[in-house]
Order: sequence, then structure tokens, then C-alpha cells
Amino acid sequence: MKLMTHVVIGYPSLEETEKIVRTMVKSGVDMIELQIPFSDPLADGPTIMNACEKSLQRGTKIKDAFLLMKKLSLEIKIPLIFMAYYNTVFKYGTKKFCRDAKVAGAYGLIIPDMNIDEENQEHFYVSCKKYNLNNIQVVSPASTDERLRKNAKVESGFVYFTAHQGITGVKDKLSPNLISNLRRVRKNFSVPIAVGFGISKRKHLEAIAPYADIAVIGSAIINEINKSSTENIEQNVRNFIKNILFHNN
Amino acid sequence: MSNGHFGKYGGRYLPEMLIPTLEQLEKTYESAKKDQKFQKEFNNLLKNFAGRPTPLVFAQNLTEKLGGAKIYLKNEGLNHTGAHKITHCIGQALIAKRMGKTRLIAETGAGQHGVATATVAAKFGFSCTIYMGAVDIARQRPNVFLMEQLGAKVVPVLTGSQTLKDAVNAALKDLIENVNDTHYVIGSVLGPHPYPTMNRDFQKIVGQEIKKQTKEFENKLPDYVIACVGGGSNAMGAFYNFLNKKSVQLIGVEAGGKGKKIGDHAVRFSGGSVGVVEGYKSYFLQDSDGQLQKTHSISAGLDYPGIGPELAFLHDKKRVEFVSVSDQETLQAVKTLAHLEGIIPALESAHAVAHAIKLAPKLSKEKIIVVNLSGRGDKDLFILAEAFKDKSFYKFLEDFVKI
Repeated sequence: MKLMTHVVIGYPSLEETEKIVRTMVKSGVDMIELQIPFSDPLADGPTIMNACEKSLQRGTKIKDAFLLMKKLSLEIKIPLIFMAYYNTVFKYGTKKFCRDAKVAGAYGLIIPDMNIDEENQEHFYVSCKKYNLNNIQVVSPASTDERLRKNAKVESGFVYFTAHQGITGVKDKLSPNLISNLRRVRKNFSVPIAVGFGISKRKHLEAIAPYADIAVIGSAIINEINKSSTENIEQNVRNFIKNILFHNN
Repeated sequence: MSNGHFGKYGGRYLPEMLIPTLEQLEKTYESAKKDQKFQKEFNNLLKNFAGRPTPLVFAQNLTEKLGGAKIYLKNEGLNHTGAHKITHCIGQALIAKRMGKTRLIAETGAGQHGVATATVAAKFGFSCTIYMGAVDIARQRPNVFLMEQLGAKVVPVLTGSQTLKDAVNAALKDLIENVNDTHYVIGSVLGPHPYPTMNRDFQKIVGQEIKKQTKEFENKLPDYVIACVGGGSNAMGAFYNFLNKKSVQLIGVEAGGKGKKIGDHAVRFSGGSVGVVEGYKSYFLQDSDGQLQKTHSISAGLDYPGIGPELAFLHDKKRVEFVSVSDQETLQAVKTLAHLEGIIPALESAHAVAHAIKLAPKLSKEKIIVVNLSGRGDKDLFILAEAFKDKSFYKFLEDFVKI
């Protein structure tokens, strides 16, 4: 099973984000999600919301996100993905955003509030396709088979399944319906399945490993960053990832 | 119109996890709309619980003083809970019941929509949670008290600017986590489809009454209908019935606040740009990166960076004209209306009055202006006392605390 980790660009600072991403790569993660901070992040819980807010207070701009992506993608071989809310893409210009993200070296985009029902208005998937950028669809336990089928029609790269019906954040237990839901997703999609939301422990990874391909860890690592002083952020992030990858806890 | 679009505006820009519950809401609403029993129950509650129809009042003294067009006031402040908000809350409570939900949640800015939601929750036996920005709680304590008396839990929102938009975000997150038993009572003609359409349909009775009542007084249609615009529920309610009557000019009044600087006002049309936030596409006050900006208005109900998508559409089509008035002009309008007509309007509604005061003298005496007075001013007691620097009111508060 592969591991995808997550950072909020500019949190705790742009320099730190860059270092954290490098540390993640060295620690053995397989892909990294770089979230562009937004003032009103609809699907995020308190941990990521707070990180977005702090990053924006420090003055993080979209151009910083593109510069960081460009710099990192030149030296890092694993897929780097932009996560953003749709207003960020729309305001920049959907086509232009897709083009610039590709030029900067992004593997794909995760835009949770760009809904497939709005494609006629937005031409978002068309733009992704044009610039050979993977649009990673996000589906949830509430998605009916019909909605899964609809989203599978534009599948690209992998599909992101939210492990529970809710917002991002650390949870102790996995949802009891998780496995049956993952089977439903597998039936409808042919791309690999990533599972995020509430994934934070080695035992979570073991439980989902037979049914999914990629585990996503977001808030749990930001919690580690929050607990750290500037000097030991990288060390703590490294230890956390190593624990997840190689030890039982 | 398809999928809740008004031209390019509106829509349903949401994470997939909210789609099924909104599809259920849309289906339920569509079936209720055609159900005579539902319409009968809704109208019965408007009459016998909320107190409709509200009167259309001829503002004779104000008209004579200004010496121009005749001014009528549609006094929505006489609704139960003091504003037009109760109308769409009753409608949505009936829809929630139809869906088998047991819990209502809502966002609130000034607290008016929160009080109206808590009221229908009490009446129909729902449990109720209201999200309110911590900044708004600090300036609207009396409404927090009222909501709690009505049995609602008021949750302070400590994220972002700690005002209305953050309360909307918090309520949407609650909905994401509790889709099975919870209905989110959005308090204006905004948010994802079907809210803008559904709330407009509930509120359109205001325009129907204006039409009928103006006919009774004047035997013709009004020449102007003026309403304040925050999200736009009272404006859409007043305007909708006149959209195809070309002779009726429709004017929306935005909050000009303290000035033109970013963060000093809530004028979306001249200061904002098109964006996609909180599930819908419309005009928003945002920076070049699409981050929502801070807003200001003396009236909490207009202090919001977005605007209903149908109003954005009507703006572009030039069917509704938009203007703005300042905090100062608004306060003056409160004084004028109180002295001349014996009505203390809500600060939101006073924006519409302020524009009518500017407009009326420029028009001939045969012209008719209807001002939608969306709410009454009781709730603004503390803000008005502060703005009018009423020392004895503060003395009263100090003495009251000592007792």
C-alpha cells in the first residue's frame, strides 16, 4: 500500500513547507498533496482550517504555490498534487490554472467542491485533459452507486475516498462500513483507490490495505507540526511517517 | 433554468458528500410545491402563526415632507419574530418534517434568522443548533438570549472573521457530519441549489401582497420597489412578482458602510467579482487570489461578502438596479422614519428607507414608491443607543448591572 501525505502551503511558513516536503520524500512517502490555502475551506476540520488561516495571515499567495511546486517538482520524482478549493481555480482562470499547474510540474489536482454536475459551466475536466493533468475525483460514503458511476466517467490518476462522512481530522476508529464502501468504489472505478479523512495510525493502514491502494494522512501530520518547535519539525515528521510505515502502534 | 442556475450564477458547487442530501431536499421541495395540502398548511401558518398579511402603510408625513413621489412602506417588521425571515423558516421546517428530519441547524449574523429558526424548531418539535460568529455574539447578545430561551443551542464560531460567512461554513460542516437527521435552514436566497429557488418561492408572497395592496390603494402597480440586500431574501421576495412587469423599477440597496476601503463596506456589485464560494457562484468581495475579504456594515444582516445568485443574474440583465447607502445615511433614515411615521425600522431595512428619501424628491407626485421594510428595529436597541451616543442608556446599563 502506498502512502500519500499532505501539507498546507505556507504553514508554518513557505520555507518550512519546502523542508517538510523534502523530509516526507526522504522518509519514504509515495505522493504528496500540497494544499493551497483558502479563506473558506468547506471540507476541512479545525486542524487544516487553522493551518490555512495562519498561512494566509503570513501572506501566502497563489503565485507562491506555483513557485513552490515548480521548485520541488524539478528535484522530486514522486507525484506532487495540488489540493485547492474551486474558487482558487476559478478566480485564477480555470484553463490558465490547469496549464500553469502542469507547467509547474503538478501530477494532478484535487478540487473537492468542483462538482461533476457543474462541468458544463466550468469545463474543468476538459481543461485538465487538455493539459494532461490528473483530476482526482473525491467520493464519500454517502455517494450512491449512481454518483459513483457518474464520477467514474471522469476518473483520472486515482480516486480519493473519504473514510467517513465528515470533514478532515484525526479519528481513533474507522467507520464500520468502510470495507463495504471500498468494495463499492472498487466495483465502479478502474483507477487506484486512495483513502483519507481520519487515517492516522498504522492499524488503520493495515485494516484498509486489502481493499485500497493509497492511504492519505493529512491532519495527523499537521498535529505533529503543531506539537513541534521550529527546530524539530522535520525530525518529528520523519519519526511519525517511519512509525506509520514500519512499526505497529 | 437547470440545476439551479440563473444564467451563469447559482449551481451546486459542493463536495460529493453533500450531494445526496441536497438531491433529497430538491426532490422533497419539488413534490411539496405541487402538493396542495403542503401549500395550504404553509399559508395557514403564515396567517395564523406569523401574522400575514403584513400591512402596506402610506407614509403620508414623509411623502409630504419630501414633496415628491408617494411612499408606501411594506411593514414586514410586523411578522412574528420581527422580520420576513420567519416565512422561509416556516417553509423549511415543513420541508424538514416531510423529509423525516429531527434536527434543524442554521447560521445567523444579527441573530434574526437564528431566532426565527429556533422559533419554528420549538413550534414543530425539532432540536436546534445555531452557529453564530463570536464577533456577532458579542454585538448581539439579546438575540443569543432569545434563541436559548427558545430551546436552541448557540455555538460560537471562532474561525476566520468570526462573522456570518464563518457561521455558514460551520453549519455546512455540521450538515456534512449529520446528514441523516439534520436539515440546514439556510437563511437567505443563497447557498447551493435548491436553496436560492426554494427560499425565493417561500418569500414571493411579499411581492404578491405588495401588488394586491398597492392596487387597493392606488388602483395601479407601484413605479418603484426598493429593498435592502444582504443575501437578498427580502429583496427577492419583494421583487419576484414584478420581474415581468417592465414598468416597475426594482432597486436593491447594499451596505455602503463607512467608506470605499476594503473591509469598510459590503457593496458586492461595484467592489466585488464573480466567484464560487459556499456552494454557489455569484458576486463576492474577494481579493485577486479569491480569498474572501472582510466586510463592514452597521447592520449585521447586510455584513456579508456574497449575494444571492438570482440577484447577480438580475444585476447583469439590468432588471434590478443596485445602489448603496452609508452607515450615516442609514442612521439618519431610522431617525426620520421614527419621528415622521412612528416606525423604527431594522438597520437593514433603514438602508432601503435612506435610498427612498434620496429618490422621492426627484420624482413627480403621481409616482409610487414601495419600500420593503424587512424588519423592525427593536433588535438594534444597543447599536442605536451607541450610534446616537445615548448617555442615559449607558447609565441605565451600568445601574442595571449593579442591582
